[in-house]
Amino acid sequence: MTSGSEAVLFWILAPITVAGALGLLFARKAVYAALGIALAMVNLGVLYLALGAPFLGVVQVVVYTGAVMMLFLFVLMLVGVDSSDSIVETIKGQRVVSLALGLGLVGLLGSVIGQVSVGALPGEPKSVTDNGHINAMADLIFGKYVWVFEVTSALLITAALGAMVLAHRERIGERPTQRAWAARRVRTGEHVAGLPAPGVYARHNAVDTPALLPDGTASELSISRVLAARDQIEAPQGYAEISREMEQEITEGSTR
Amino acid sequence: MTNPYVPIIIMVALGAAFALISVGTSLIVGPKRYNRAKMEAYECGIQPTPHASGGGKVPIKYYLTAMLFIIFDIESVFLYPFAVAFDRLGLFALVEMVLFIVTVFVAYAYVWRRGGLDWDY
Amino acid sequence: MTTVSTVVMADTFTSASISYSALMPMLIVFVVALAEVLVAGFATRESRHALQVGLSLIGLLGALAALLLGARFHQGVTASVADAAGSRQLGAVVVDGPTIFLQAGVLVLALLAVLIMSERLGGIGADAFTPMGAANPGSVQERAAQRAGLTTSEAFPLMMLAVGGMMLFVAAGDLLTLFVGLEVLSLPLYILTGLARRRRLLSQEAALKYFLLGAFSSAFLLFGAALLYGYAGSVYLSEIASAISAGQPDREVLLVPGVLLVLVGLLFKVGAVPFHSWTPDVYQGAPTPVTGFMAACTKLAAFGAMLRVVYVGAAGDRWNWSVVVVVIAALTMIVGAVMSVTQTDVKRLLAYSSIAHAGFILTGVLAFDVTGVSAVMFYLVTYGLTTIAAFGIVYLVRDVQSGSEATHLSQWAGLGRKHPVAAATFAFLMLAFAGIPLTSGFVAKLGAFGAAVGHGGASGAVLAVIGVLSSAITVFVYVRIIVMMYFTEPAENAVEVVSPSILAKVAIGFCAVLTLALGIAPKLLLDWAANASLFLS
Repeated sequence: MTSGSEAVLFWILAPITVAGALGLLFARKAVYAALGIALAMVNLGVLYLALGAPFLGVVQVVVYTGAVMMLFLFVLMLVGVDSSDSIVETIKGQRVVSLALGLGLVGLLGSVIGQVSVGALPGEPKSVTDNGHINAMADLIFGKYVWVFEVTSALLITAALGAMVLAHRERIGERPTQRAWAARRVRTGEHVAGLPAPGVYARHNAVDTPALLPDGTASELSISRVLAARDQIEAPQGYAEISREMEQEITEGSTR
Repeated sequence: MTNPYVPIIIMVALGAAFALISVGTSLIVGPKRYNRAKMEAYECGIQPTPHASGGGKVPIKYYLTAMLFIIFDIESVFLYPFAVAFDRLGLFALVEMVLFIVTVFVAYAYVWRRGGLDWDY
Repeated sequence: MTTVSTVVMADTFTSASISYSALMPMLIVFVVALAEVLVAGFATRESRHALQVGLSLIGLLGALAALLLGARFHQGVTASVADAAGSRQLGAVVVDGPTIFLQAGVLVLALLAVLIMSERLGGIGADAFTPMGAANPGSVQERAAQRAGLTTSEAFPLMMLAVGGMMLFVAAGDLLTLFVGLEVLSLPLYILTGLARRRRLLSQEAALKYFLLGAFSSAFLLFGAALLYGYAGSVYLSEIASAISAGQPDREVLLVPGVLLVLVGLLFKVGAVPFHSWTPDVYQGAPTPVTGFMAACTKLAAFGAMLRVVYVGAAGDRWNWSVVVVVIAALTMIVGAVMSVTQTDVKRLLAYSSIAHAGFILTGVLAFDVTGVSAVMFYLVTYGLTTIAAFGIVYLVRDVQSGSEATHLSQWAGLGRKHPVAAATFAFLMLAFAGIPLTSGFVAKLGAFGAAVGHGGASGAVLAVIGVLSSAITVFVYVRIIVMMYFTEPAENAVEVVSPSILAKVAIGFCAVLTLALGIAPKLLLDWAANASLFLS
């Protein structure tokens, strides 16, 4: 069995790992599920380190927790954190069949691996203390797998190319500079001094609230088109009584 | 000689104590005057929206950044055993590693030139 | 508690012995791919297409020259280390007869595919690829990109990377190299599949399906490799073979699942039933020249790798696992042939035909004999040539109004009268698929079924019979297309065969001529295949 301190470490980390894994299964929100996996993976990494596999431990943290989880979170952000899966089956009975087949495969492989008694494998590194593992790793990467290692860079290039081709929208035409904008305004003679700024009020630095024209009407031009399209425009009238309300709130707050 | 983990435990305890004490002190000692504006989430000069527009989706643009991060992350995984075993590996491994890094930087140069790193496009 | 002890050094580091001349063809392909990535980044928009195509052709030709002039004479294992006993060299890359033959096959087929892929049809960039893959299909942005003359010139470096992966795949001497080769060849294909200019949604759906299922199959292959490592204590195919012949009584159970899981990964790539479900969707959705490239070269590379895994690694235990593969081969032939009857889309039809062909080739693999190896290799090259030409012609048959490919069978009605050359070539290629005498398809099928009957025992004979019957079914399909083209009144919506540049014409013509030549006088290639059919173990 393991030594005392290792057992302590294990019994601290294992429940946290399992909790993280359960969080993945039962969390309502996808982001919480992702954080659950991250927790489980970091703990696994620590366990690997404790078991004397420093390379695996570091890779577990750097690649899985760092890179893969990062990608998961990015994908969640891309599809929207609030979106949830449609659970309508397009093919009837698909889920039952795939569950049965999956369990069958697990059972088959489990029974196969369960029957094996593995002694020392011939390929095991000779020294496992200190940096022995990592040295053995380096020997493999720069020894017999050096060509494969170099070819791996082709995978990384493919990843970069793929991300660019599928996700990058190249700018078509030059982006107009401030100078060009100014020149255009002067040429057309419209809004030569620039568009009016949005309203600025006592409490709100309000880009979502139109400025008021001298006659008291709101200036449509002072508002970003994006906000107007999102329907996030505030009416300016509400801010007229703002100072009185603020005083009230401050006195109310100090007595709470 | 004492257990080498003792200083680490002391360090962790000190760190935890500092965090707890500084947060706790401000909780106890600090003045509390509430008003509604203080309790609102800050959203760049517009009224906070309960749900982010578009279901909280971010532009696909961010994905490029994530992918680039991963590429260099994987590269660093190979750098780790290389660095540890550098003294034993000698010149051959250095050359191979440089070749690998140059290859990955070709991808980086491509992404940079094609404007993949420009935020304002 | 132990404190910092002295660092225990492993034995001193010994680098692998590498024969650079044996690796030269692959090196050339990868370096050219890198150069093309730089071209995509640094060259001006207008010059990119010409530079990419030129570099691809030079790279592929250079690699072919390096292979036939240099690497041929450096056969042996490379990137190798001595085994534990020091008695022999174990190589991550094995350059032997089949490797040379298959690598040359990949390079020639890729060369022809590039010629068709580079077709511009009067546009600025390759006509097959979308101007901007990231734009929403049918959006304003997409049209703006089209007008601005944007091109996806990245398709060419991606293709070169895939070619490099294929060359590594057929030469992999151990399971890890096999896995890396598989990924290097697959990832670019996933991306290329999603870049079709027209019917973008279909293309993107195909790419996603291909990627997801491909990732699954890679996982299976990796799982199998882990089991085989557990069994033999080594990932080298030759060491696995030694472990099988020595027997591992306490780990015997790992062997058959390991072999089968590795084969699942490979059978997925060739599109064997029941791992075929991606094939029709992906063949239909991908840009047609990419489909041709994929159908020809992926099949060649995957079967090449399968030959090596099966013949070098797992043959010693074949009595225990080959029955599963026999069933898969039979299913593949039957499902491929029967399903192709019901298809109404030319690309889907050719996809099911390619599934049926995968079954025929698998029959040859299961002969477990050198004649099987040479028959399979011959089959792969001839099938590749025919396929690239067939998809090349499908690519050129366009709807007059929309300019998109007219892939529905009914649109092909009466094509023979308006465009006799294209229709005649396509009809001839269909006959080659069917395996009619005087086409290369006949010689190839004869070789594969002959090897199965001669050396495959009872199961080989059964498979050959199923193969002949399935061929008979597919003949019906192919003849139906020919009847459609020649004996049916043209449909209402007008269809034309656009005239490609001289390069694409040469490529299609070359493939068609070779299909005929290898049907009449196959001796040269057959001899080469026979001479190159011995694996180095």
